[in-house]
Amino acid sequence: MATRKSNGRAPRVAPDFDTRQVLSQAEQVVTTAGAIARISDEVSEGAETQTLALDRAFHNINQMAASLTDTAGQAESVAASAEELGSSVNEMAASIDQVTANTASLAVSIAETGSSIQETAASIQHVAASTQDMASASQQVTASINEMASSVKSIGRDTESLTASVNETGAAIEEMTQSIKGVSGNADDLAAAAEETSSSINEMAASIEEVGAMTERLASAVDQNSASIEQMSRSVQSVAQSGGRIAEVARDAATTATEMERSIQSVSTLARQADEVTRRVARDAEEGGASVQRSIQGITRMRDSMAQSAGVMREMGKRTGDITTIVDTINLIAERTNLLSLNASIEAARAGDAGRGFAVVAEEIRNLADRSAKATSDIAGIIKALQEVAQDAVSAANDGLRVADESNALAETGATGLKKIMSGVTETVTLVGQIASATAEQRTAGQSVVTAIAATTDQARVIAASTAEQATVANGIVQATAQMRKIAQEVTKAVSEQTRASRDIIKAAQSTTRYAVQVRKATAEQAKSATEIAQATESMRRGAAATTRAVAEQGVAADEIVRAAEAMNRIIGSVSKAMAEQGAAAGEITKAAESMRMQADQTAKALKEQARAMKDMSSAAANTAAQIKTITRSNRDHSIGATAVVNELAELRRITDRNTAGVKQTRTTTADLLRYAEALTAVVDDLRAPANGSNGRPARTNGH
Amino acid sequence: MTEPFILFTVAGTTYALRSRDVAHVEMVDQVTAVPNAAHFVDGVVFSRGQVVPALNLRARFGFDKAPTDLSTRLLVVRDGARTVGLVVDAAREFVPIDPAAIQPPSAALTGLSGRYLEGVANIGDRLILVLNLAATLTFEDPVLEPHT
Repeated sequence: MATRKSNGRAPRVAPDFDTRQVLSQAEQVVTTAGAIARISDEVSEGAETQTLALDRAFHNINQMAASLTDTAGQAESVAASAEELGSSVNEMAASIDQVTANTASLAVSIAETGSSIQETAASIQHVAASTQDMASASQQVTASINEMASSVKSIGRDTESLTASVNETGAAIEEMTQSIKGVSGNADDLAAAAEETSSSINEMAASIEEVGAMTERLASAVDQNSASIEQMSRSVQSVAQSGGRIAEVARDAATTATEMERSIQSVSTLARQADEVTRRVARDAEEGGASVQRSIQGITRMRDSMAQSAGVMREMGKRTGDITTIVDTINLIAERTNLLSLNASIEAARAGDAGRGFAVVAEEIRNLADRSAKATSDIAGIIKALQEVAQDAVSAANDGLRVADESNALAETGATGLKKIMSGVTETVTLVGQIASATAEQRTAGQSVVTAIAATTDQARVIAASTAEQATVANGIVQATAQMRKIAQEVTKAVSEQTRASRDIIKAAQSTTRYAVQVRKATAEQAKSATEIAQATESMRRGAAATTRAVAEQGVAADEIVRAAEAMNRIIGSVSKAMAEQGAAAGEITKAAESMRMQADQTAKALKEQARAMKDMSSAAANTAAQIKTITRSNRDHSIGATAVVNELAELRRITDRNTAGVKQTRTTTADLLRYAEALTAVVDDLRAPANGSNGRPARTNGH
Repeated sequence: MTEPFILFTVAGTTYALRSRDVAHVEMVDQVTAVPNAAHFVDGVVFSRGQVVPALNLRARFGFDKAPTDLSTRLLVVRDGARTVGLVVDAAREFVPIDPAAIQPPSAALTGLSGRYLEGVANIGDRLILVLNLAATLTFEDPVLEPHT
């Protein structure tokens, strides 16, 4: 009894001290677990924020994908229009305009994509950093738990000696044994929970590895995107060059069209003048024809009258012939009379004086005959002259007739020629009218050509501006994708680190499980060694010393837990810092977008200069069509890439969700741990309650 | 005291014969050519019931013959017993000439053709050759000299 008392008294002091220590430790554990839970909450919050950021990124990427698809469709229609462009400059201009619009929207989409990708990359970086930090924190937690486990082990060892000393107290020890059994059950539960935790951590590790694989795929998709974007950038640059050449050619065409229009106008004026002149000629020719007809009529009349006068002359000639005959007769009579009178004179002279009177008569007769002969001679001369005149008149009339006939023939020829001239002039009038109408049409067409070419020039300028902007934006995209690639590589690195950390966590969890088993075993041994408490007073003392040391170690461990909590706080700080950095990065992205816009403005300016360099429009149009096809293909590739990115992001979000779930599970596990720690505290309280009771109420102890 | 003359022309020159030497004047109607006649003998004509030889004075005086026309005359003359017809270009005038007005032809003229001329008369402004009928009719001709 005395031994029991001395044995029981010595441990009465030690358990009292130890349980308080254990209690305070358990409370600290509870506090630490609470802190872990809070940290988990914050981590969970961070993960949710990440999820939200991812959702945003996802949304933006979706928008980008949609706009890319839209752009692809529009670019295809633009390509169709560009092919039609070859036949019509106007259509070409319209197509170029459309291309420009599409390219501009593409540029906007690309800018959005770039910013979204940057945001996504930053978020991923921060997620990676946070995950890394979380992993290290988990490691620290595991280390703390390990240390806690070892201290619990040493508590178990101490409890053995405690049990030895408590063994002397009988009924209390039995109760304690039962309690220890309960502890053992709890330790089982703890082991199970540790296993569950381990499995959860395994799942988490698996999901982290999945994330790793996804990230690698994401990196390769980003590589592909980068390559196709570079290709697109090149094709956009060649489109810009083609646009420049197009603008030059359109300018040349505009100059040529203006010149053509001017020459058409002068042709139109000339045609109008020719029309007027031709009409005048037609009028004159008509008048000439009429006057020729009149002169033909006059000539005919003249001919007729000439023929008539010739007939009259001939008749007169004939009559003068008659007169000549009569005159000859008269002359003959006169001659005969002269002859008779001469013979009478001869006879009278022969008769001498008797014939003197007769001679006088004969003389008078001869005189009369001579006068008659002279008169007839004069008449004959006159008649002869008259006959000559009549002959001359007849020949003149004949000449006149011939001339009149010739004139008539000539006039007929002239009339025929005039008729021909008239028909030619009529034809000319028709032709000139056709020329005038044709030139009018040409003028209208030329003006519309000028307008169309001006529109083409404008639209070519616009497309050049858009393509240059596109080129700039494509360069920005190339840079952004390079950055994305870098970020993806970093993410891959971080995820691999995460994977390593999760493996460490798994190892730690396994060791936790081992420790839990050891705890269970130890507790079992505790139960066994409770009966040996009596024999282990000495060792209890040693154990007390060891307990003191262990408590000191526990203190150190507690310090480490405190440090771990501090590390947690630091992590929280770094998480908030990362958030701040995210904000700063967003600001920088905004600035970058502004500078991009500024660059776009500068590009627009530069494009005006490029518009002057437009050249070889038609060949460039074909080239443009081909390049637009390439753009369409590139757009399609971009769409596919964007879809892949979307898929990757969705995968990333799923993984993040899973991470969130893992964190939640960790939190649950921590809560379980907390519950177990509370249960442990309760057990220790129960343990302490009988120890106090043995001082106050020995009868109950003695009862056993 | 004047004497009536018959004026006639041969080759543009006016000659004169005494009216008493001229039987009558005729128009030359038809001359019948006779064989072997002298070149100045045109032939014979039938005049007032008598065959008269026609002497062409143009040919006789050395001029070319002229075709017969309305003014051509045949002067039928008597030289002694002969009756001869003289073919002249024209014979229209019966003019009384004072024999004092008739001058003998000049010696120079006589040597050449003076044997046919009796003299030259100047009437008014006209120069008239008075024919020597006998000399004119003196020639050897078988046709004209049947009676000699």
